[in-house]
Amino acid sequence: MLAYLVGRLILAILTIWAISVLSFVIIQLPPGDYITSYIAQMSASGGFVSEQEVEALRREYGLDQPMWIQYLRWMKLVMQGRFGMALEWKRPVSEVIGDRLWLTMVVSVAAIILTWALALPIGIYSAVRQYSAGDYAATLVGFIGLAIPSFMLALVLMYLGFTLFGANIGGLFSDEFVEAPWSLAKAWDLAKHLPLPALILGLAGTAQLIRIMRANLLDELRKPYVVTARARGLAEHRVILKYPVRVALNPFASTVGYLLPYVVSGSIIVSLVLSLPTVGPLLLKALVAQDMFLAGTIVLLLGVMTVIGTFVSDLLLMWIDPRIRFESRK
Amino acid sequence: MSAKRKGVTRRDFLRDAALATGVAALAGSSSLAFAQAAGKGPEPKLGGQLIGKLEGPELILDPAKWPKKFSEAPMLAELVKAGKLPPVDQRVPAEPLVIKPVHSIGRYGGTWRRGFTGPGDSENGNRIVSADKLLFWEYTGTKVMPSVARQWLLADDGKSVTLYLRKGHKWSDGKPFTADDFVFWYEDVYLNKELVPTPHPDFMINGKSGVIKKVDGTTVLFEFPEPNYLFLDILAGSTAMGGGQALWQMDGRTMGAYMPAHYIKQFHPKYSSKDEVDRKAKAAGFDGWIAYIKNRWDWRLNPELPVLTPWKTVTPINNPTWAMERNPYFYEVDTAGNQLPYIDRLQMTLAENLEVLNLRAIGGQYDLQERHTAMTKLPVFLENRDKIGYDVRLDPALNGSDATLQTNQAYDADPEVAKWLHTADFRRALSMGIDRDQLNETFWLGIGVPGSTAPSETTPYNPGPEWRKKWSTLDVKQANALLDKVGLSKKDGEGYRLRADGKGRLRIELLTSAGAFIPHAQIAEMIKEQWKKIGIQADVKEVERSLYFTRIRGNEHQIAIWANDGTELLYLFPRHGLPVDPAEAHLGHPIAAWYASGGKQGKKPEDPQLLKALELFRTANGQKLPERIKIAQEIFKIMVDGQYSIGTVGQSPATMGVRIVSRKMGNIPSRQINAQHCRTPGTSQPSTFYFKA
Repeated sequence: MLAYLVGRLILAILTIWAISVLSFVIIQLPPGDYITSYIAQMSASGGFVSEQEVEALRREYGLDQPMWIQYLRWMKLVMQGRFGMALEWKRPVSEVIGDRLWLTMVVSVAAIILTWALALPIGIYSAVRQYSAGDYAATLVGFIGLAIPSFMLALVLMYLGFTLFGANIGGLFSDEFVEAPWSLAKAWDLAKHLPLPALILGLAGTAQLIRIMRANLLDELRKPYVVTARARGLAEHRVILKYPVRVALNPFASTVGYLLPYVVSGSIIVSLVLSLPTVGPLLLKALVAQDMFLAGTIVLLLGVMTVIGTFVSDLLLMWIDPRIRFESRK
Repeated sequence: MSAKRKGVTRRDFLRDAALATGVAALAGSSSLAFAQAAGKGPEPKLGGQLIGKLEGPELILDPAKWPKKFSEAPMLAELVKAGKLPPVDQRVPAEPLVIKPVHSIGRYGGTWRRGFTGPGDSENGNRIVSADKLLFWEYTGTKVMPSVARQWLLADDGKSVTLYLRKGHKWSDGKPFTADDFVFWYEDVYLNKELVPTPHPDFMINGKSGVIKKVDGTTVLFEFPEPNYLFLDILAGSTAMGGGQALWQMDGRTMGAYMPAHYIKQFHPKYSSKDEVDRKAKAAGFDGWIAYIKNRWDWRLNPELPVLTPWKTVTPINNPTWAMERNPYFYEVDTAGNQLPYIDRLQMTLAENLEVLNLRAIGGQYDLQERHTAMTKLPVFLENRDKIGYDVRLDPALNGSDATLQTNQAYDADPEVAKWLHTADFRRALSMGIDRDQLNETFWLGIGVPGSTAPSETTPYNPGPEWRKKWSTLDVKQANALLDKVGLSKKDGEGYRLRADGKGRLRIELLTSAGAFIPHAQIAEMIKEQWKKIGIQADVKEVERSLYFTRIRGNEHQIAIWANDGTELLYLFPRHGLPVDPAEAHLGHPIAAWYASGGKQGKKPEDPQLLKALELFRTANGQKLPERIKIAQEIFKIMVDGQYSIGTVGQSPATMGVRIVSRKMGNIPSRQINAQHCRTPGTSQPSTFYFKA
């Protein structure tokens, strides 16, 4: 068991290293670099940059050096926990990402909790009451949730919020709290802004999970052990919850691994539309501006999150599913 | 045809919306004049009704009419009372800039709320604080007026410009602003090869650099080896020498002609040692002194930097909020002696995306916003204005075409395509194959002016009204005849013309950039449809903005679409009209490199007419104004006749000309000049804007 964990850990570290190399290379792949986008931006505001100045700027940012030297420079900074300078923001990457990372977590976790809170009971209900009116209703709502692109849902809800309730548009904070230090009032303000993005982010995933839960549970419910339990006169809720639901939970646990990074990267467009101060829009902007330290760090963080998530989901699976537990003992 | 119908219904909708909210009353003679200028007869367009009368604040230059006593904002009066600030008459220069606000004397206070899109959106702020320019343009955009400099003198031989500064003018930290601040910038920044590797074209004439000299404490001399009559315009324009500190000392830029020497010296190796400044830089987390000093003189990033602007940064731009507060030493007063600005604070909140920014504008979360508010949202803006309490104002620009098809005159990757791009009759045919009215109805809501790339008839460089339509109206018959004549008469089964070299259909690539103010890609798609009638196959390629510029610098594009903004004052911003600036040359990067290097690099254009235009442009700087006007008109005639840049629709408010104005705000001009050199809304003097109650 311990050997299994240590082995996984070593593999995880190697994976993270590979991710760091890959993310750096991928970010360098498109033609041009930060200076190109800097010139593009300058052109828009009527600036002039001479060829010599371009060279001087490349030197200043170390962009004239071969890619592997740039990578080593970045790695050195990563080891020191500094991650380099976000070129466009003119601030250390760690500072730029700072609060946004926590806010991303808050939004993601809220979305995941909401997804599960909705999907689990509805999934169980529609499996147990298959082809009932409630099952059809849940299925319908689920499919609508799945079919509408979440950015569109976000736009529609935001517009409705504005026209019907005069609600604050976009963001996670009211104006007066954006720059304020953390306090109870600020946390409450955040809590008030949270339901809308969590709902939008969660809805598509909810539909998916309802279907999975329903299908899995239906499979289980027909198995002999359930029939036996029922024949033995076990109470219906125990019959269902004790084993079939637990087995049907398997997909929930095994998706934890990519749920975290999915909610971060998959939510980019929604975060953009809702103007959420999360990591998503930052990543998009960094890629557009070819700000490689910032983009690289975010991609690296996403990679690390996936690795950690996979690790957690392995543990969860072992806990839920005895068959896996037995396998690892062999 | 369906698109045409769509345009009309949208206009109907707009008209209904306007009538419903009673704005028809605003439809005065100006809208009629505008509709006529658009060449569309007397039918008043709704857009015209939203375009007001051009107006702006007036400068009082006669000292006899200046106020004798000064007063100040309550928040500063408190500081004076507490002994933290000297009294107002010691802070305002002995020779202030006296402004008569456009409507009335304002009242102090309030926070001006706006939206911005992140650290790349500096223009959002520096256009508002651009009163730190040495000279400026009057609100009409045609006359040079004083700004930071009180007065100027252009020598008769054109070889020098003398600037007279204001006596008693102070930086925002209370230290005196003098000629030494110019000398410091010139000697220790501009001539320092590590900071400025090459001299800047704005400070050169025919390849020779100018110099800055101190005459006395408040007099500065700019000298040139050859006549440089254009230099006054350069000082007043949005240029490297005249753009001021707020525009040219940010984002790593090194120009601006002056700098707070007393503050910046501590970061410069000349005044201590390289080790010392490097040590400071490292301690602050920078790689070296160069990166650090550039950060320290960046007004958006460093709240400690002394400035001359009406407001100064208190929360840097790389935060979720970019906030500014009044400069207690600002050099402007109104005619009643109130120190400007009226408004205490400016607060911009980050919008991660433009839809949110627009929705917030509709929701009344901004007090005055003309940036990123899109023309296509106009119907929704109008629908909500009474509910929320704001007005919508349109400020048409002066440039000829917001979506200009720039043909690459140095293209060589595909010899067949290159041959056609370099044939005048081919380009003319392309131009005549465009239905500009349809574009105007669909993308400009019918309020743009269709035609060539020539600037507005109200600007001095316009070559004459007949050049608006030259080769620039829909004429499918003549276009087809021209194409047949040049040797493209063979067509394939679908009616598209075939290449002369037998390699199939002739395809022309239209390159557009994502994220421009104007939907260039959609416009290109419509042109593609229109060109079917002349048998030309276009391929629209939309790419991300920096890739777009990379391709153009790499000479890879065939036709690129971009606005030709700035060309209304050709000499101050020629790059969208002529290939002279290697930083951005849609008409051919190698040609611009050839021009800028005096023939040492790049490629000389083959076209004799284009060559003539470039030669004319080269002679212009040394000429006096009347000659310069003639030369510019001549250049526009050549460029329109040759259709190197194919104009579509312009003189519209599409770029930064859709203003959302809270009804709480006063002294807002009903129309303001929308042009690069006027730093819109700079010439409307935002320091005189105020909150009514």
